[in-house]
This record gives sequence, C-alpha cells and structure tokens, in this order.
Amino acid sequence: MKIHRRFAAISKDFLQNSKTVRIAWIVSLAFSAALVLLPWLVNLDGKPHADWQQFLGRFHPLAVHLPIGFLLLVPLLEIAGSFRSALREAAGFILGLAFVAFLLALTLGMLLAYGSGEAGAQVTRHMAGGIALTIGVLLCILARPSWLQRSVVLFYPVLLACMVGLLFWTADQGGSITHGSNYLTAYMPTTLKRITMISANSSSTSFYAMHINPIFDSNCVACHGATKTSGGLRLDSLDLLMKGGKDGPVIVAGDAEKSLLLRRVTLPPDHKQFMPAEGRPPLRPEEVKLIEAWIQQGASPTAATLAGISTADERPELPLRPVADYRALMPEIQQMQQTQGAKLIPVSSKPEDGLILFTVDAASSFGDAPLASFQRFGPYIVEAELGRTAITNASFDTLKQFTHLRALHLEETRITGDGLGKLTSLSQLTYLNLSGTQVTEQSVRALSSMKNLRHIYLYNTPAQPAANPNPTQPIARSQP
Amino acid sequence: MKQHPLCTDTDHGHDVMKLPVPSELKREWATLQTRRHFLGRTGKVLGWAAVASLFGDRALRGDTDGANNTGPGAQTGEHLRLPHFAPKAKRAIYLFMSGGPSQVDLLDYKPHLLDLYDKDIPDSVRGAQQLTGMTAGQARFPIAPSHWSFKRYGKTGTWVSDLLPNTGRMVDDLAIIKSTNTEAINHEPAIMLMNTGNMNAGKPCLGSWLSYGLGSMNDNLPTFMVLQSKLNTKENNQPVSSRLWSSGFLSSEYAGVGLRSAGDPVLYLTDPSGVDREVRRNMLDAVNEINRQTFQELGDPETHARIAQYEMAYRLQTSVPELAVLSKEPKSTWDLYGDEAKEPGTFAYNCLMARRMAERGVRFTQVYKRGWDMHDNVTGILPIICGETDRGCYALVTDLKQRGLLDDTLVIWAGEFGRTVYSQGGLSKENYGRDHHPRCFTTWMTGGGVRTGITYGETDDYSYNVVKDPVTVRDFNATILHCLGIDHNKLTYNFQGLDQKLTGPVPASVVKGLLA
Repeated sequence: MKIHRRFAAISKDFLQNSKTVRIAWIVSLAFSAALVLLPWLVNLDGKPHADWQQFLGRFHPLAVHLPIGFLLLVPLLEIAGSFRSALREAAGFILGLAFVAFLLALTLGMLLAYGSGEAGAQVTRHMAGGIALTIGVLLCILARPSWLQRSVVLFYPVLLACMVGLLFWTADQGGSITHGSNYLTAYMPTTLKRITMISANSSSTSFYAMHINPIFDSNCVACHGATKTSGGLRLDSLDLLMKGGKDGPVIVAGDAEKSLLLRRVTLPPDHKQFMPAEGRPPLRPEEVKLIEAWIQQGASPTAATLAGISTADERPELPLRPVADYRALMPEIQQMQQTQGAKLIPVSSKPEDGLILFTVDAASSFGDAPLASFQRFGPYIVEAELGRTAITNASFDTLKQFTHLRALHLEETRITGDGLGKLTSLSQLTYLNLSGTQVTEQSVRALSSMKNLRHIYLYNTPAQPAANPNPTQPIARSQP
Repeated sequence: MKQHPLCTDTDHGHDVMKLPVPSELKREWATLQTRRHFLGRTGKVLGWAAVASLFGDRALRGDTDGANNTGPGAQTGEHLRLPHFAPKAKRAIYLFMSGGPSQVDLLDYKPHLLDLYDKDIPDSVRGAQQLTGMTAGQARFPIAPSHWSFKRYGKTGTWVSDLLPNTGRMVDDLAIIKSTNTEAINHEPAIMLMNTGNMNAGKPCLGSWLSYGLGSMNDNLPTFMVLQSKLNTKENNQPVSSRLWSSGFLSSEYAGVGLRSAGDPVLYLTDPSGVDREVRRNMLDAVNEINRQTFQELGDPETHARIAQYEMAYRLQTSVPELAVLSKEPKSTWDLYGDEAKEPGTFAYNCLMARRMAERGVRFTQVYKRGWDMHDNVTGILPIICGETDRGCYALVTDLKQRGLLDDTLVIWAGEFGRTVYSQGGLSKENYGRDHHPRCFTTWMTGGGVRTGITYGETDDYSYNVVKDPVTVRDFNATILHCLGIDHNKLTYNFQGLDQKLTGPVPASVVKGLLA
C-alpha cells in the first residue's frame, strides 16, 4: 500500500516535471515521425513475402477491433467522468490501452499488407488512416494532462473528436478492402439511394452487366479493382477483365476449362492459388455456374440470356418494406368485408407480410367508391386483386395511397391508362397486370421510372407490342 | 380404479386400508373418510355440473372447429394461422395423368437403349423388386426402346419426345422432375398415395388440405374443384373415384366439387320451371333453420358442412353459368387451346376452365385425364392421348403466363407412377407394352415458387432406378404445400389420436432444388 502510494506520488511528480514532459513530447514526436516514414520504409510492392508475415498478419482483422472499441470508449468515459470522477481516471487508462492496441493492429496490418502483397490506393488510404490514428492517440495521451489541469482546454477534446472521425473513415476503408466498396450501400432502400445519389451500376441489360459483373463486384473487385490491383488484374469492367493480368488473359471465350479465372475460383479452398484469397468467402456454386456458362457460351458482352440458365427470379429480392401490425384493426376489417363484399386476407400468419384485397366476390359491383372506402387500410395492403371489377381511372388516386402495394391486378377493368403515372409513387410495386384493358403504350410509358416494377402484363391491350405477330408469346417484360 | 380426467380428487390415490396400521384406526378412518368424502365430493360434483352448464355442451367436446363455425368461409387461414409464411403461389392447378404416363417415351430420354433392343434388362438393375401379377410370370424382360425420337427444345436444350411438341415449346418454363418415385405398384393405392399421402382410402386429399388450411378466395365458387376429362374408349381407362377428392376426416365442406364433363356442369343447377330464385331462397332458409335445430340437438359438425354446401349450391346457380360461358373468350384463346376446347369435357376445355377458375379465385383445380395405362399397344395409344393432352398443357401454361397469372399459380403435371422400360407381352419393332413402374417416373411443375428451366433428378441408363436426387411422393407433396406457403409439418388435424398430415408420419422434406 505504501509502495503503491509512493509510486503514484513519484509518477505524479514525474509528469508535472516540465523537463520530463518535454522529453516525452520529443520522444513521441520522433516516434510519430518514424511512423509517418513507415510507408516509405516498408515498400508495399504488391508482391507476396514471407509466410510467417501473412500468418501473423491475418490476425489483423481480429486485433483491429480492440483499439476501435477502446478509442470509442474514451470520449464516453470523459463525458461520464464529469459526473463520476472514477470514470475519468479510467479514461486515461483506456486511452493508453488504445495506443498499445493501435500499435499492435498497425504492426499486424503492415505484416498483412506486406506479407500478402496487397497494394493499391485503398490499402494505402487504410494504412495512412491507421498511422494517423496511432499518432493522434499518442498526442491525445500527451495533451490530456494539460486538459485535466485546465491549462489547455480545447486541444484535447478537438483532437479526440477528430480521431473518432478518422476512425470511422479508416474502418470504412478497411471494410471496403474486405467486402467491396458497395457493401454498405448495396441494400440501401431505393428512396435513400436517390437522396444520397448513389446510383445503381450500369443500366445495361446484358447478361454480363446483370449477372456476371455483380459477382465480381462483390467478391473480387476489392483486390482486383481501381484502388487495389493484385496481380495486375482488374475485374471492374468487361474490357479490363478480358485484358487479363500479368499472367495473361484470364478468360478464354467459349472454353471455360481453359479460363484461368474459373480455374482459380474452383480450386479446393485450401489451395494456395484459390480465389478469393486470404480466407475471404468462396464464390457460391450458383455464381460459379453463371460465370462458367457465360464463358462457355462465348463470354458475350451483349447477350442478354444464356442457354440453360434461368435468371429471371435470381435477381436479388427486393428488401420488402414490412407492413405495420394490422391486427388491432381486424374487427373493423371484418365489418368492412361484410358491407363491401370484398375481403382482406392476411398474406401469412405474420402481420408484417400484410393483407391481400380480394374483390372477386363482389367483382362487378366493386367500383371506385368501394375501393376508396378501403383507403384507410391502404398501408397494410400489399396486393390488390381488382381484376374484372368496375373501377375506373378515378381509382388511381386511391391506389397511390396504398403505399406498400407490391402487386396490382387491374386486368379486364375499364381503365384506359389516363393517370396511370400516379402509380409511380408506389415504390414497392413489382407486379402490374393491365391485361384486357384499354391502356395505351403512351400511358404505360409513364411508368418507366419505376425501378422496382419487374412485371407488366399488357396482353390484349392496345399497348401490346404490335411487333409481336405471335399472340401466344408472353408480354412479361423484365424492365419497363 | 381409473380416475376420470376431470376428477381432481387427490386423496383418492392413497388407500389407508392397505397401510400397516392397527385395525381400530382403519375402522375409525373409514367412518371419517366416508363422511368427509361424501361432503367433499358432492361439492365438487356440483361445481363441475355448474361449469358444464355455464359453458354449454361445447366446452366438453373436442371438436371446437365445427362448433365455432357459423357459416361458410368462417374457418379461414386466420383461424389456423396459415399460411405459415408468405407464399409464392396463391392457387394451384393439378393436371393429373391417371394411369401412369410412360416416362421413357415422353421426357426421360435414353438414347442408348436403341442398341439394347430386345436384350434382357440386367438382373442387377431390376434387383429383387416384386413385379405386378401382369409381368411377374414373364420368362424374359426384353428392353423396349422408345418408338419415338426426341428433340432438344428451348434455351435449356431439354430432350422432349416428338409426341409432345407443345410441351417442348414451353420446356424453359418447366421444372421437370425425373426422379419422382412411389411405393405403390398398382393404380388404386398409387393414385391414393399421390393424392392423399396414404395408400388406404379415408385420408383427405391435397385439395382438401389446401381448402382446409388456406380457405376460400371466392365465396361464390368452391375452393377446390375437380374436372374430369371425357373418356376415350380407345384408351385403357382406369377408374377414378370421388375418394380421390374426398375430404376424409376433415369436414366434408373441404371435399372437391366435381364438374361434370357433359351436359350441365353441375346437376340440377337450373331452377325447375315454376320455381324462381326467391322461392328457392325461402326454401333454403327454412331447411337451414331445421338444420340448425338439428345441430343444437345433436352437435354433429357435419350438420354445419351440410348447411354450407346448400348455401354454396345456391351461389353456384349464378357463378357456374358465368364460369362456363366461353362466348366472350377472344379468338386468341381458340388459337391457343384449339377448337377442341369449345367442346365441354375435352382435356383442352378443362384446361381452359382451369384458367378461368384461377382467374376467379378457385384455390385448387384438379383436372383428371384417364387413359395412360398402356400394358399393350403403346404405339397405337400413346400418340392419341398425347395428342389430346399436349396442346392443352401448353395452352394453359402459356395462357397463364401471358395473362400474368403464372406468377402466383402453381401448375403440376403428374401421374401415379411410371412405366417399365421392358416390354410387357410381345416386343416387336412396331409395338410393345409397358407395365406399371413405381421406382421412377417423370413429372413437372411450373409457376409460383418453382425454379423453372431445370431438370431435377436423374435415372439410370434404363430409366429404372433413380440415381440422383430422388423425390418421394411425400417430398413432392411437401414441396407443393411449400409453394403455397404451408409448412407440411404444421398443417395437421387431430384425428384418432394422431396429428394427421398430408405427408404422413414418415419424415418428408421440401425439395429445395425445385424452388425459385
């Protein structure tokens, strides 16, 4: 106990001694300078080096989460420290731990990058972030005592805030290396995407653009892209893919077996040359099958479909917007059914799957007014079966209130398509059946901005493409 | 002494008289016991009697389903908490090829059999299989390669017999299952197994389970309809009985309603002269009142089923004529289905009706086509029956597709078993016969929930045994239920002390490879 107290006193003296403080600053700045020079000392040449470096380096993704946690804890503890001083004491300790953990993560990260031959702008950015964080945290440690003594009030909090910001940026860079740059935004709701201006890739409808490129994008481009180009190979565009890497072309059109790319992804996963490398998840068998079929059938840049490959329903399912719980409304719904003769039936036992509006019982008498009386339940209705009812164009105003509508049946109704454009606000709509109505091509064109609308049925309408001499051909279109 | 389950008298278990205590004590206990017991029990009995009268007779009857059912459609999926998950298909059309279509001659292409013409099928392939009485006595089992050649169709390049050119045209839309197999080798058990999941009669069929589980989408038409196709006397027609669309132990409301293939679709549907709709309504109201009194008296849930069926028949008087009037069908319909579809009772007509029923919210339509049982004269009969069915199947699938109905309609094509690769009776270059073959047969599905453009499962070089991805009848039915949003293990009905289900007690699994 005595020793402990003495030790504390000595260390306090030591820290308050201006000479030691100066020495500490000098040592730290020298160390920081060394860190800044690190990228020039360790030349990331893009070639793999010793195995032991990779072995240790692969612990980087594990170790890297420690300093993240520590650093995020520091501001929390500092804030909480103004209410309980013990927590502020802990903040200093945690900050020290964060520095040690950053050093460890940085070391392992350098080993990983150097050992496995990672290179590219993204890796460089991630490394720079890591170095800056380590230095920043060191400066925080040095700046903290004067903040505690209230001699320099702003420097430490501002620096700490900057470090937290930098932490997020660096972590995002690291995440992009592992998961690909669109990992976070891939499943962003479309409205949010529109706001944040993140556009979908190409609008091309070729098989390559629809099915092959997305596979590379999510599995390979992290290492074989513009920011990082392992083995000189880039898979982010068709031209670069066909050009190949430093070992020559990776695709032999028409011969999947001779294509290096396919060989590397189909090796046993523990094989040294297996891709994706570094323990990233292998391609799924169906993805390999798509690539194989695409190569085998000529690796065409334009072909929209491939023989033997059905992809119509393999596009990623839309993230469906769940429906709010309607169960409290059930008595009202049942009463509604009795008066209107139309039914609202749950899609499934899960309320978030919504309700289906069936009108077949009342078909010929079910017009615009009865439909409008269902408006109240609009947000719970995911599918409206209005085929063969008496509704007219006036109902579009009601229907656009059905915000969760995914499928809309209007077949053989009296609608003519005027005002069809009002439906464009239905962002969830994937299926629209207009068969046997009087809609025109022009009115249907108003729907072209609906990205999620995958199936429009125009059988037996003036809008049915005239170029189709065979009336037995389906009019289902993948994109309006 | 066995206690009544409602008896909560815990004292009853201990018998003081058997304890090793002095006999005076026992005697004293007996006197106390009698008085206490009498008073205590009397109180409890009176209590139970009061409870029983408060709850009415329903409280003590197991079958609350029927008791709470106050009208048609009252017992919906909501009551059973169904579908279990959001379904891909809302309805299904089942084209049942009764008799056992020959997979070797239609969809299971085995080109190298031509080299094995009239050679005996190896014993190793046949194994110790017990054959039917029709071929078990044959001295030899000569291989009969298909009389017809095959062509590749569609983007998938699937081989299809020249007998089915229209099926070939839609092959990219189908999931062809070559590995379906059954345990039954004779028609009646096999067709019962396909339809009810059990070889013995008395179980509900697929359609009844669906209407019990999912309920009706259209109160004016039955949830489950059965269409029988006209007989062709050139074909060997095995009987098809109403056992196949029976609701078994489920309420008879869920049984399939058959439309007749000739004359009025439903008998006595038109009002007799002098009876108008109002008179009929009054009569029905009176009959229903009598039935309700009967129910109060006897509590038999079948009484409710009867009321529901009378009401349904009344509504059918207007809905069925509308359903059966084809005059508004556009010319493109007849171009697609053929003029044959204008004649009621033909397979093509039934396919068209199945599409019209799908449009009108019929949950499950089953079309039966008999005549696939070809023990001899395959080359004579098979082209006839293929000609009768091929175009109808294609027209139905194509029509559903162009009208946007295939997205949420499941279409199934299946028989009860396949046929042997060896010839039954004499084999010549011109003709042969084929016996029943349960070990493998080919079926197809398409529509909502099905992964199309695929061939699932493989048979050996003799189309005799399944060598890859077998699909049992249980798996087949479980997969159908899955497409309609039903977990086959959860759609149950307690009967005879068991939670009965379509797939039976033996484990079944949904065939994931068939799902979109």
